[in-house]
Amino acid sequence: MSPNSLQKPFSGLRVVDLAWVGVGPTVSKYLADHGAEVIRVESATRPETLRRAGPFANGQDINNSGYYANFNSSKYGVSINLKHPKGPQILKRLIAISDVVTESFTPGTMAELGLSYEDLRKVREDLLMISMPLYGQTGPWANYAGYGHVLQAAAGFNHLTGWPDGEPIGTGIAYTDFLVPHFAAFALIAALDYRRRTGEGQYIDFSQFEAAIHALGPTILDWTVNGQNQKRMGNRDPEAAPHGCYQCKDGEFVVISCFTEDEWSKFRAALGRPDWSDLERMRRKWSRLSEQDEIDRHIGFWCEERTAKQVFSIMRRFEVPCGIVKSPEEMQIDPQLRHRGHYWELEHPTMGKRTYDGPSFRLSKTPGELTKASPLLGEDNERIFTQLLNIDEEEYNELLVEGVLE
Amino acid sequence: MSVNDLDTNSGFPTGALSGYRVLDLSDEKGMLCARLMGEMGAEVIKIEPRIGHQARRRGPFYRDEKNSEHSLFWWAMNAGKYSVTCELDSSEGKKILHKLVEQCDVLIETSVPGSSRDRGLDYRTLSRVNPSIIVASITNFGKTGPYRKLPADDIVASALGGHMYLNGDPNRGPVRTTVQQAWAQVNAQAAVGISIALYSRGLNGGLGQQVDVSMQEAMSNAMDNAQQTWDILKINNYGPGVGRMREGQIGARYIYETLDGWVACLGYGGLVGLTADSIVDWFNESGEAHVLNSSTWRKRLSMMDIFTEEEQNLLEEVVAKFCKKRRKDDLVKEAQKRGAGWAPVYDPREIVESVQLNERDYWIRVYHDDLGESFFYPGPPFRLSETPWRQRGRAPFIGEHNDSIYSNLLGLSSEDLRTMRRRMIV
Repeated sequence: MSPNSLQKPFSGLRVVDLAWVGVGPTVSKYLADHGAEVIRVESATRPETLRRAGPFANGQDINNSGYYANFNSSKYGVSINLKHPKGPQILKRLIAISDVVTESFTPGTMAELGLSYEDLRKVREDLLMISMPLYGQTGPWANYAGYGHVLQAAAGFNHLTGWPDGEPIGTGIAYTDFLVPHFAAFALIAALDYRRRTGEGQYIDFSQFEAAIHALGPTILDWTVNGQNQKRMGNRDPEAAPHGCYQCKDGEFVVISCFTEDEWSKFRAALGRPDWSDLERMRRKWSRLSEQDEIDRHIGFWCEERTAKQVFSIMRRFEVPCGIVKSPEEMQIDPQLRHRGHYWELEHPTMGKRTYDGPSFRLSKTPGELTKASPLLGEDNERIFTQLLNIDEEEYNELLVEGVLE
Repeated sequence: MSVNDLDTNSGFPTGALSGYRVLDLSDEKGMLCARLMGEMGAEVIKIEPRIGHQARRRGPFYRDEKNSEHSLFWWAMNAGKYSVTCELDSSEGKKILHKLVEQCDVLIETSVPGSSRDRGLDYRTLSRVNPSIIVASITNFGKTGPYRKLPADDIVASALGGHMYLNGDPNRGPVRTTVQQAWAQVNAQAAVGISIALYSRGLNGGLGQQVDVSMQEAMSNAMDNAQQTWDILKINNYGPGVGRMREGQIGARYIYETLDGWVACLGYGGLVGLTADSIVDWFNESGEAHVLNSSTWRKRLSMMDIFTEEEQNLLEEVVAKFCKKRRKDDLVKEAQKRGAGWAPVYDPREIVESVQLNERDYWIRVYHDDLGESFFYPGPPFRLSETPWRQRGRAPFIGEHNDSIYSNLLGLSSEDLRTMRRRMIV
């Protein structure tokens, strides 16, 4: 079979994406970027949160959010007002000819609309559906509201991020929004593979909270096994010295870490084997670990005399693990990411040419491809409702007039 | 693969990935990925050198006993796998590996690009042995490009992946997400890539392929909207401390101290926006809404007016004082009742004791027969109705399954095994 005759992994699959904000759309983005026909169902009566969040290109408008755009490459967009009695009916007709439904409403919402998995299975027997709210479908927190920015607090990331003498600052972003979608996507695709092999669909109850904890495995076991309740430790690591972040002459920061004796000896060579590094207490890792303040002080002085690029280049030459703390601006011109083609530039009807994140992996024979920029709200209404759903002109106009497709 | 295959194969028969066999040659960048595949039904065989994988020396350790069977890092990342030992640098070791590859669906490796060929791990060689094999190469920077051979660990990938720039404090500089998130990220994202390749294989006549995963890129996908903020506005977001970053500006504090710890909440705890009235009401019940309990303030808060710096400080102070006198779980419960999305700042102990997780029977008791003890492990990261996630038991000892895998799977005789042991291959 020649590569040209290969099908994109998810070609022929249709996905109805009712999810919003970061998590759900990232999951369906994987499917869209690998060949599925993903239809985002939104409504102007209750616009998706990210469409109203910046940064905006060419002025604040529901179609101009770069935040929204990045999560929704390669997808199509329709609008259905689910509050209108006919809304859920139309949606159900669309789901009847689809393979996958993704959603992240407050638990119970889909059932209220007559769109629970049991309801939908009646119109599509082998349907695969995933629900992915913050805390799952059951339990006392099931209806709790929030975003990734606060879920990171419940899931331990705040407690574990920051300086030991400071507040639990957490990451500066809605961290779990950028962690748990990968778990959800893996579950969904594995279930798709099972469906391909057996013809059976199923329902996935995904709790963002429950998935996030798997990124803290050893830390959790340290409590359940040893009764050790770990704390944040700045940039230190209990098993490496040095292991830190240092400001350079140009104000930029670099990180340097040495876990092994080999790395330490290369590091010493990179510094020109200064006397302090040859002191008895610096010779073994176990004793270096209690000299971290002193080590950091010396590295701090050394870095102050060099630019971040100089430090990186010296460390690189000596094969010491080191990196510049790259700003968003520097990421866009990073030679490695450039070489890998990580960022995609896509032309959007109202935002112009914009940068999108690509997947972190390349499949050698059926690689991902960001086929188009994010959809405008309701951009594909006519095609999807009249051609795909075969709604005749009369009914389509009626739906428009009645505000069902708003 | 047909329905019938699902009944006859390895792994556990009711998993979504049941019927697949995974060879795990990975380090920290791939071990969690392989474990997740196992918990989804695949049979996962970890290949280690005879002295054990180096990750067995990574802490923390059971009762602080530093030995290769007591690493909690190892336990967490390798639970439920089989372990065989094999010296891959020897030509006989390679032969064994190739025999295993013939019977496997996925191979996960993490060697530095350029060195894998020497060990016979490159895709070209492996695909000749088994054209259906999916080879996942999880590396620091990807298989190609100018950085491909650079050494990197978790913090280096966080830095060069741009994520770390967004964490920290303007006064103290960037800070790492303390527990190893570059590893967590690349593992989870690799699992997505591999499952796509498996699905693609079914669609494309059983053809395998290579999945080339980059830890740097995995981290760069954890930059929120910072990349777009630069692209569109030419503004660099950065670490905002306890504030919230928006387009280069540090916004309202989202972490507040309580009587017993901390809570997290956006928009001054919901004082600003749709929930304004109900939060003012709440604070006012104990006379703690101060000036905010006026029609002018209520209106301005509801309509998300623009506030002066002084007014912002006032809002922060009202929330801070209110929180300081109360317990975090009580605060969160009441705020949620009023529609505001608060969450407690939990430490590992509190996560384990969380009512939500316990109500959902999240924690799984895993028995360690060698210690005669059971410990709680994190439970289902996803709950599939027909093919449930399943924890597969404790992590293996070094080479624990040499006999069963080598004789049952590869059909080696006990004489063969003795020879291999003598030649120090297994």
